[in-house]
Amino acid sequence: MSKKQAIIISILLVLAAVAIYVYREYNRTNKDLATVAPDYTVQATALVNEFLANDSVAYNKYRNKILAVQGMVKAVDNVDGDCTVVLGDTMELSSSVRCLLDSAHAATGAGFKRGNQVTIKGAITGFKKDDTGLLGSDVELNRCVIGGE
Amino acid sequence: MKKRVIGLTSVWVLLSVLVTAQDKFFTKNGKISFVSKGNIETITAKHKGITAVVDSKSGAVQFAVLMKGFEFAKALMQEHFNENYVESDKYPKADFKGQVTNNSEVNYAQDGSYNAKVKGTLTIHGVSKEVEVPGKITVKSGKPQLNADFNILLSDYNIKIPAVVKENISNTVTITVDCALEPLKN
Repeated sequence: MSKKQAIIISILLVLAAVAIYVYREYNRTNKDLATVAPDYTVQATALVNEFLANDSVAYNKYRNKILAVQGMVKAVDNVDGDCTVVLGDTMELSSSVRCLLDSAHAATGAGFKRGNQVTIKGAITGFKKDDTGLLGSDVELNRCVIGGE
Repeated sequence: MKKRVIGLTSVWVLLSVLVTAQDKFFTKNGKISFVSKGNIETITAKHKGITAVVDSKSGAVQFAVLMKGFEFAKALMQEHFNENYVESDKYPKADFKGQVTNNSEVNYAQDGSYNAKVKGTLTIHGVSKEVEVPGKITVKSGKPQLNADFNILLSDYNIKIPAVVKENISNTVTITVDCALEPLKN
């Protein structure tokens, strides 16, 4: 093989590697969090209180992180096949951690009952401060899966 | 007879109190999605955790949504949306506060479908703008469902499209809202 051929082959290999990388990156989907270790493990009420005390400090601490939240099931909202598990430690309609289950794991929340102690892992989307004074402020997670490992 | 009238009156008063106590409706599981039809690619995203409150008496409505909760089919699009377009860390929430302007034409106690006009302030990316949106309120088993389809311009909310993809991404985004509400028990 001549030097020229070797250079051409090297360039083609590099271009092929770049093309594969770009294609994969472009079509990448969000990871299933079942196999992702949490960055933090926290109690539901402690997490809510952290945001209530200073939401910008708490947001900067947890943003783009995966949280495993331990708490008591206050409610399970099933809407059109989507499941949100609401965690807290009291039953009143006050501030909670709202965990929207990953659509691939939506059925796993079906058996939960009010009062169950559970751990749910998810990606934090933020803190929704209540402007109405009627609904309570919530920490929200999505892509959630059951369990905290 | 007199006792019966008093008894019936008491029941009616009690029922009235119960009915008037149900003048606010809410959800925290509302759905909102958007579609942007560009020349090369159509971008869609869904959100399943919109908060909505409606006061059937006054017609006041309020919606709030966390931007990071929008889910895209492609992770890269989701990252670009949050980091470059709507800057979710800087402006984490979008909301709408307004009024059903023809609220008197909507009978929340009567099952049926009502055309609604909603007017108010929409805040996205830290920019607030007055909007008027046609929608539908469908009352089923005493519970209202809100539906609306409307367009916004990204440029109105100071959302910049990078020059390199300007030709491929539309400045017009169609937003669809679908919220089934429950009575709010105070």
